Amino acid sequence: MMIDTSTAAPSAMPPAPPRSWSTLVLFAFLLLLVAASFATLPIPWSAFLTLESINNMAEFLAGFAPPDVSAPFLTKTAIAAGETLAMSALGTLIAVGIGLALALPGAGRWGRAPRAVVRGVLNVLRSIPELVWASITLIAVGLGPFGGTLALAAHTSGVLGRLFSDSLENVAPLPEQSLRTNGASPLAAFFYATLPQTLPQMMSYTLYRWENNIRAAAILGVVGAGGLGQMLKYHLSLFQMQQSATVIVAMLLMVALVDAISFALRRLLTH
Amino acid sequence: MLELRHLSKSYASGHPVLAGLSWTFKAGEFVAIMGDSGVGKSTLLNLIAGLDVPDANAGTSPIWVDGVAMSGLDDDAATRLRRQRMGFIFQAFHVLPHLTLLQNVALPLLLNGLPQHRAAEMLAAVGLGGREADFPHQLSGGEMQRVAIARALVHRPALVLADEPTGNLDPDTAHDILTLLRSEIKATGACAIMVTHSTAAADMADKTLVLSKSGLQETTIVNPFAQKPR
Repeated sequence: MMIDTSTAAPSAMPPAPPRSWSTLVLFAFLLLLVAASFATLPIPWSAFLTLESINNMAEFLAGFAPPDVSAPFLTKTAIAAGETLAMSALGTLIAVGIGLALALPGAGRWGRAPRAVVRGVLNVLRSIPELVWASITLIAVGLGPFGGTLALAAHTSGVLGRLFSDSLENVAPLPEQSLRTNGASPLAAFFYATLPQTLPQMMSYTLYRWENNIRAAAILGVVGAGGLGQMLKYHLSLFQMQQSATVIVAMLLMVALVDAISFALRRLLTH
Repeated sequence: MLELRHLSKSYASGHPVLAGLSWTFKAGEFVAIMGDSGVGKSTLLNLIAGLDVPDANAGTSPIWVDGVAMSGLDDDAATRLRRQRMGFIFQAFHVLPHLTLLQNVALPLLLNGLPQHRAAEMLAAVGLGGREADFPHQLSGGEMQRVAIARALVHRPALVLADEPTGNLDPDTAHDILTLLRSEIKATGACAIMVTHSTAAADMADKTLVLSKSGLQETTIVNPFAQKPR
């Protein structure tokens, strides 16, 4: 069938937005910054890609193979992996407790002033990275997993406290108001109406942070907080590459496993 | 059942909303309150429920519920009175989305520490028997309001307050819901006060009061299409 387009109505598309010169100037400025970064930093690409450096890298990597799979070493690695796992789980659990306690005032349920104070505290907690927290807690309680656990708990409390506060603030207020109208106490209205609405989201945030903390716990070991990280630092510093390879593979497997479990659980909770 | 004695309410700006309102509502009575927007209908319901404070009335409490002076109650006592003696039905249903229908209806029983077997009976009474394990998102608007009615009446309150209970429903569903509300109120002997803009809804009540600046006045609704069940 032929369609006569001669009588068709003119296009109903809205006119194009006016060209913004300020956007173009900003874009050009960003490009200039990128170019200046490359120009000012000493990045000798040619040295990195020489035959000699490629050979050196290949030789270094070849030292990792094959990983040490002797039973005593695998047992030692499994114990260290358990320590890293426990450190991350306990650190996250402590953070959930502190985060929940701070989320109530942080969500403005006790007034504006407590909200501002608690939000400030949460900002400080989460602005300091785990490694810095670890350097503080390791001085305070000594080397080992306890300091690492405290470091993870301190940073994660700030992150979860902020996320929990936002969840509570964004929850639909009508169910709680309705229960209060029906004569429920403030506590009962919170537990029956508000908390169940936010619980799946809070669980999802917690699992995601646990996932992050597994990786962080492995890194914290490098500064003396125990677990796989400490083991990796020890064997690398002695150039025991095959043992180091086993520890790295164990780290990868553990992170992948926890990622998969956490992802599946989060999907279950939010769908 | 409910007595208003020279009830007045002014806002902080000094603007009077209700001035010297007096009326006696009897047990077992289904009363509709109509009136122009902004005349104070919802404020009246909030005052009766103890959610808002009336202007001081020299000599006596302006609101008496079942012989109890509302003015003499602190927050906790007013909350307890609402929990034990009142039921609420809202235009937007306010059914809790994460609870099953049975759990929603059982909530007032749970809050009052009463046995919960009546929740299933009440759910069956509003035509939702067999759907105890369903969640609110599986229901239509009319069905959700049935759940809200069951929840409002399950603990046998003496006073039911309904704010535009059919405002979100189509006319046929609204008629069904009000027929149900009326029969349940008559069965339990509660006094029900319904604020509405709909003459069809008001015609389902025993009497209709019009709220205006000059107070509450009884009126007759002429709605030839409505059939009031008895």
